[in-house]
Amino acid sequence: MKRTICFLLLGCGAALPLRGQPDRPRGYQNFPIIITAQFHALSMPFRDLKANFANIGLGLGTEVSLNGKHNWVQQLSLVWYRNKTVGNGLMAYTQTVWRPTVTGHFFTEVKAGIGYQLAFRPVDSFRPVNGGWASVGRKGKGMPAVPVGLSVGYDNPASRTAVSPFATYQLLLISGYNKSVPLVPQTLIQAGARIHPNYGR
Amino acid sequence: MKTMRTYLFGGFVFLLLAGGCSVYRQDLPMTSCGSAPVAVNPAYSRAAQVRQAMEQLNRAGVPGCAMAVYSAEGWWETAAGYAKIEDKTVLQTCHLQYLQSIAKLYMAVAVLKLAEQGKINLDEPITRYLPARYSRYVTDAGQVTVRMLLNHTSGIPEYNFAPAYVTRLLQHPDHLFSPEDYLKYIEGKPLTFKPGSRYSYRNTNYVLLALLTDALTGSHARYMTETIFTPLGLKQTFYRDQPGYLNYPNLVNSYWDRYSDGILENASRLQRNNVASLVGDDGIVATPADAVTFLRGLLEGKLLSAATLEQMKTWVKDGQGKPAYGLGLDYTTLGGEEAWGHSGGGIGAGCELYYFPRKNVYVFIGLNLGTVTDSPLHPEAVRARDQFYEAILK
Repeated sequence: MKRTICFLLLGCGAALPLRGQPDRPRGYQNFPIIITAQFHALSMPFRDLKANFANIGLGLGTEVSLNGKHNWVQQLSLVWYRNKTVGNGLMAYTQTVWRPTVTGHFFTEVKAGIGYQLAFRPVDSFRPVNGGWASVGRKGKGMPAVPVGLSVGYDNPASRTAVSPFATYQLLLISGYNKSVPLVPQTLIQAGARIHPNYGR
Repeated sequence: MKTMRTYLFGGFVFLLLAGGCSVYRQDLPMTSCGSAPVAVNPAYSRAAQVRQAMEQLNRAGVPGCAMAVYSAEGWWETAAGYAKIEDKTVLQTCHLQYLQSIAKLYMAVAVLKLAEQGKINLDEPITRYLPARYSRYVTDAGQVTVRMLLNHTSGIPEYNFAPAYVTRLLQHPDHLFSPEDYLKYIEGKPLTFKPGSRYSYRNTNYVLLALLTDALTGSHARYMTETIFTPLGLKQTFYRDQPGYLNYPNLVNSYWDRYSDGILENASRLQRNNVASLVGDDGIVATPADAVTFLRGLLEGKLLSAATLEQMKTWVKDGQGKPAYGLGLDYTTLGGEEAWGHSGGGIGAGCELYYFPRKNVYVFIGLNLGTVTDSPLHPEAVRARDQFYEAILK
């Protein structure tokens, strides 16, 4: 686990070569690259915290500003996670984000949106066919999702660095998992960076 | 430096992908077993129809099913389908089945045995027998009697309705829960109705009965073995009798339909570890013949006195005013016939053990398909199960 966390942190650090070095404040730019490393768990929020650091994943996203102050943005994300006991998954979601500045260059985010999760099975599975069994591998199921999250981060538009690090706790409400358990809670703990490339400025 | 970082980032991605491809297994090794546990009547008159119904269960999507029946024609048993799909291990009647909630009937017998021995009064509050370290989790425990636990009229909340329990179970299939862990899920929750005022089936009641019996006997599992398994000669019935409990090579693999889409995945590790953790409300495995031998032994008076048996058959009513449950004994109608016994359902198994008094027939049927979560395979399986009872009872 320690090794995994080290790689994760180093992975985030590796994004730093992408930073630009503007000679003037870069300000806000639409379509930054948002890279996240994350931990996925089938868990109630703020429960089973150990499990929240067991199943790692990667995410890629971007955002556009919804107002002139840029404290309302719309994000689009694609996340892949591995979870060996409940099955790996792929998730696409969009969230409306309110991003107030707390103090100095530190900001928080409250975000909510909708998404779609393609969840695979953890083991090869079978479909009954004419009294026999046909293997279907780890065939997945697509399910609507409602992701709700809280973030803290740092962003200094006046700095030379083009990277804004942040950490997010997301609760995912997955609909239609099983008819007997129609709404399943999952969590994502994300650590990532919003990278602001110089789009030809 | 940039190259170094690129390598590290690449290493991280490789680790992530490699982790995602690592082999994870839910299936458990298992073997074929020896001869049939009981001498069956080869001329059993319903054999063909019962076999047909069992094959219909397989066609409906049940991997394997095994049954035993005892009637005026003597013993008969059969199995159909697979104990394990992956290596096509054929299910036999000597394979162990999960009894799931049928274990409650065994637990009730153990408690009633204590009552017969004068070690417990069914109408005393549970706080008289249950150590405070457990009763403190139960709101108004002093208002709940032992009898209310036995017939599910206590109003104590259900632990396995707690979403935190279900998510922990699924995310950690190898986690073993302690009895106290279950009680923590109901800690501070109010009783859902006035104790004794109505019937509502709750697994928590039987967890508390197991803990209460532990306090009186030292070990409810040992007490159960001494007072039930040994007197009835149940050599293929097991309950918390070894370290690493449930490590039997003739225990069936289990399957469930995780996404309710008719696709089954092996859930044997999850099922085994879940059942190995459960106390009082679940946890027993047995062959079909051993299960029937138990119910016969109970209802033929080999375990409890006639007066105690009458108490077991004092039915509390359900919401519609129909008889529902006695002391550990379920009252139901199957194949149009009144039946006494118990059913059981789990993530990876389902079963029924019933006596039909009008026909004087004892039946057990066990499936290695989960029945507690919904599946589109279930309606057809229920129709096949109805055919099964029709074949036996008509």
